[in-house]
Amino acid sequence: MTDLSAATDALLAERAADGDEIAFGVLVRRHGPFLRAFATRLTGSAADADDVVQDALIAAWSQLENLTEPAKVRSWLTSIVSRKATDRIRARKTSSELDENLAEIIERGPENRAIASSQLDALSAVLSGLPEGQRQCWILKEVGGYSYEEIAERLETTVAVVRGRLARARATVVTEMEVWR
Amino acid sequence: MTEEHIGDSGYTLEQLSDYLDRGRQPAIDAIDRDAECQSVLASLERYGSLSRELVSRDATEHPTLDESWLSGLFASITREVKAGRDIPLASIDPLTRLTITEGAIRGLVRAAGDSVAGVLVGKCSLDGDDEIAVTVTISVLLGTPVHVAAEAVRQSVYTALLKHTELSIASVDVLVEDVHVIAPQGDAS
Repeated sequence: MTDLSAATDALLAERAADGDEIAFGVLVRRHGPFLRAFATRLTGSAADADDVVQDALIAAWSQLENLTEPAKVRSWLTSIVSRKATDRIRARKTSSELDENLAEIIERGPENRAIASSQLDALSAVLSGLPEGQRQCWILKEVGGYSYEEIAERLETTVAVVRGRLARARATVVTEMEVWR
Repeated sequence: MTEEHIGDSGYTLEQLSDYLDRGRQPAIDAIDRDAECQSVLASLERYGSLSRELVSRDATEHPTLDESWLSGLFASITREVKAGRDIPLASIDPLTRLTITEGAIRGLVRAAGDSVAGVLVGKCSLDGDDEIAVTVTISVLLGTPVHVAAEAVRQSVYTALLKHTELSIASVDVLVEDVHVIAPQGDAS
């Protein structure tokens, strides 16, 4: 059996576009953990993240032929995940009950911030404590690398709202992370 | 709190955010010369890159994907076979029309190319109907003689297609597109 673990992303993406499920599987195992982590931060829910990433990968499989730069397959997958995640966020807007996972993240948030063992833990707590809309804008902007326009479109809101949420998120992050500077 | 001006610049945090997102262009002197603004901008950039680091750390801390989640995913994917177009095969019986899918040919080509030591097949394109021109891209293992590998792939693909299909092959072109190294945990054999 051919060992594809040494193959580059570009080669795997090309093979997958040609219908090689095994190559796609290698890509999934290689980038799945990152995609799931991104989706979890974005949706605030590990359960939603699992569903969102699965939906995104199924969509990716059927769209692989449209991937123009196979070497950038990871950022391409990330953009599909962010689309699926924002679809999910919009769909649940009405029933905005907090997922246990998110509640847990928030619980170990502000109070424990002072004893956070590292700057990353501190940032994690600050981000988890942000209002949902602000956190989504922050993650899409800073991790996803999307423009205000793209974020507004994804969240079905206006650029002004996105700009406002980001500014408030940034004000909070800068203030609360002050001790770590 | 976003209405407050930062330092003596006369700009608010929201305006600073915008400025940062515009790539600090066009340059605004009042911001660039203000120490407090510079420090806020540096912090914003830093927390942006820390956020990316955070997601990468989350991923490293949970490196394994749930097996039942994976099987669910692969079950959906296998349902959608990438067959591509049908390519007619030569037939002795004029009343029978035999075809083979592009997907099946690509599978054969991949297997034939991969069987050459140190070679991984990438993309396979098939052009033409009656006479098929096959183009295969390959990646060779670092240290493998490129010309030898490419010629071996050409031969192997050609032989496999002759043996398993009735296609008339116009040409088999092999493009070496990449060089790969053995993954640390990979099998070196």
